[in-house]
Amino acid sequence: MSAALDRRAAELLPAGERLTAHDAAVFALRVKRDAAARTEPDFERLREQARAIKAHALDHLDVYLERFEARAQAAGARVHFAADAADLQRITLELLAAKSARRVVKSKSMLTEECRLNPHLERHGIEVVDTDLGERIVQLGGEPPSHIIMPAIHRTRADIGALFEREMGSAPGDTDPGRLTAAARRDLRARFLAADAAITGANFAVAESGTLVIVTNEGNADLGMALAPLHIACLGIEKVIPGVADLAVFLRLLARSATGQPISAYTSLVTGPRAGAELHVILVDNGRTRLLANQRHRSALACIRCGACLNTCPVYRRAGGHAYGWAVPGPIGAVLAPALTAGDELRSLPFASTLCGSCSAVCPVKIDLHDQLVAWRGSDSPRAPSARRAARWAARVLERPALYRLAGRVTRALWPLLERRFAANPANAWLAARELPEHPGASFRARFRRRARPEDTP
Amino acid sequence: MSTRDDLLARVRAAVIHAAPAPEPFEPAHRRSDFAAFAAQLAAAGGEGIGPLAGAALRECVADLCRRFAPAERVLASDAALLRLGTGPWQPIPSDSTPHALADVAVAILCGSMAVAENGAVGLDGREARPRALPVICERLVLLLETRRIVPDMHAALAQLPDGALAHHHFTFVAGPSKTADIEGELVLGAHGPRGLTVIGIDG
Repeated sequence: MSAALDRRAAELLPAGERLTAHDAAVFALRVKRDAAARTEPDFERLREQARAIKAHALDHLDVYLERFEARAQAAGARVHFAADAADLQRITLELLAAKSARRVVKSKSMLTEECRLNPHLERHGIEVVDTDLGERIVQLGGEPPSHIIMPAIHRTRADIGALFEREMGSAPGDTDPGRLTAAARRDLRARFLAADAAITGANFAVAESGTLVIVTNEGNADLGMALAPLHIACLGIEKVIPGVADLAVFLRLLARSATGQPISAYTSLVTGPRAGAELHVILVDNGRTRLLANQRHRSALACIRCGACLNTCPVYRRAGGHAYGWAVPGPIGAVLAPALTAGDELRSLPFASTLCGSCSAVCPVKIDLHDQLVAWRGSDSPRAPSARRAARWAARVLERPALYRLAGRVTRALWPLLERRFAANPANAWLAARELPEHPGASFRARFRRRARPEDTP
Repeated sequence: MSTRDDLLARVRAAVIHAAPAPEPFEPAHRRSDFAAFAAQLAAAGGEGIGPLAGAALRECVADLCRRFAPAERVLASDAALLRLGTGPWQPIPSDSTPHALADVAVAILCGSMAVAENGAVGLDGREARPRALPVICERLVLLLETRRIVPDMHAALAQLPDGALAHHHFTFVAGPSKTADIEGELVLGAHGPRGLTVIGIDG
């Protein structure tokens, strides 16, 4: 079990109203996704098609990367390659410096979160404004996003009202989402108009035409690209898909899986720069080629970042995204983090799962998420020797029925002691998050012998 | 070797070119009439009117302008002006910078296609000029020939207008700008238009 995750979750989402609100908001997305999946007759076949396209695209990624590069450059974009986060940070800063750009508006990109681009730019005197409302909320609050499509889903309207009152001068005590959104719109519109550059991610990159596909509901990416003289798009190399026809499959799945919408409000196909402006595309590796070479886990690169596996995950819903300690939380984060990050810190994330399999059941590109979690547990995750010793002892007891019965009697007799141990251990995060069941009174075997027979019941 | 060549070499070492491309997807049959499109648009927070033609079309758009911009600036593209003739709208100034559009209340443009399955209208970069106009206006009105409605995204992307992917952008717009980032509650007009009206044109 991931004790580190338990401890962080206890800090971030203590049981109570806030946890209930988080759970409800997240699960509402799952319910909408289910309704969309049920009413779309093509849905299950689309998932299989999407899986197959991604498997093909990833296994021919060299071909499609070079094709995308050539076609995008032919359309007037400049294409750059970044080996890691430091490369992405350096290239972005150089592009901004070349245009003397100091004010940047940014739309959502999980890659730039992963590569910690904002803090780097800010250290070099660049003003970076996140323009997605949820991202703006967490930026003003000085915290990372907790969900990949709903960055501020862990915040209540009261939190946001207080934050906006302090940061934007919205009316004291106003917690109405409509009025708070209007306040952010006013504040951000001025920043859009003053921006020297727009940084965006991209949901897909089409090799056939050298096109970037950028999807939002707010229109913030479109407004940024339309106004600033410099557009920098940052994306992982796995975002490249072969053709325009493939795009239809992913666009039909993405919003349905994320929010239950048949499509998001804005889907922009961007090929080359706007007249009088520059377009730079940065294709980032940052561990992805290592994952591509890993046959067992390669399919995790097929992820289209819809968030469906987060919304359905009982651990994510209870813990909140911050508990994972990485840019991408939830089941997909737990699968990607051990592969894309160096060091052992996030190696325990695959243990933070009930393995219920719900994530795999909703994934629009059919990544075998819970099987991959098991595989990570078994492969090279560090395992405590004490856990192995405990498993050996358990096996010895379970092999011997008499010993098993004796162990049961002893446990029942010592129950009050166990209860005290549970209560007395607030420091132990694993115990603190769990309750001892009620004393059963007798062993299962005894109760089974005493059970009411089916023919006895009226 | 350069970063680019190194990266591509790592990719080449990791792949074996074995997984085949799947057969093209065969979508289920569905409707592609204006009513089916308008129902999806309504679900996305937009409004579909029509189909209309001639004087009725002009009167309908003039009505919308009176309702939403009694005294503010209304701009219409050349293609929209051809359909509408004269009214409470002006042509888009040919020299306008994107920033000069910040006070536009209503923009009237022609959509080049629409998608019945999701209520999206395809907006060609050659029509949406300056690029900022359809996202910076307070309310967007799109004129759409009903024969341009396709059933689904497969048909939409197969039938993109010639050159759609050679002129900076082609955008599918489905309803007004929206957000649900505060406790999941839907709010229209996050950054772009607070409202979207699509008027079907027979023909």
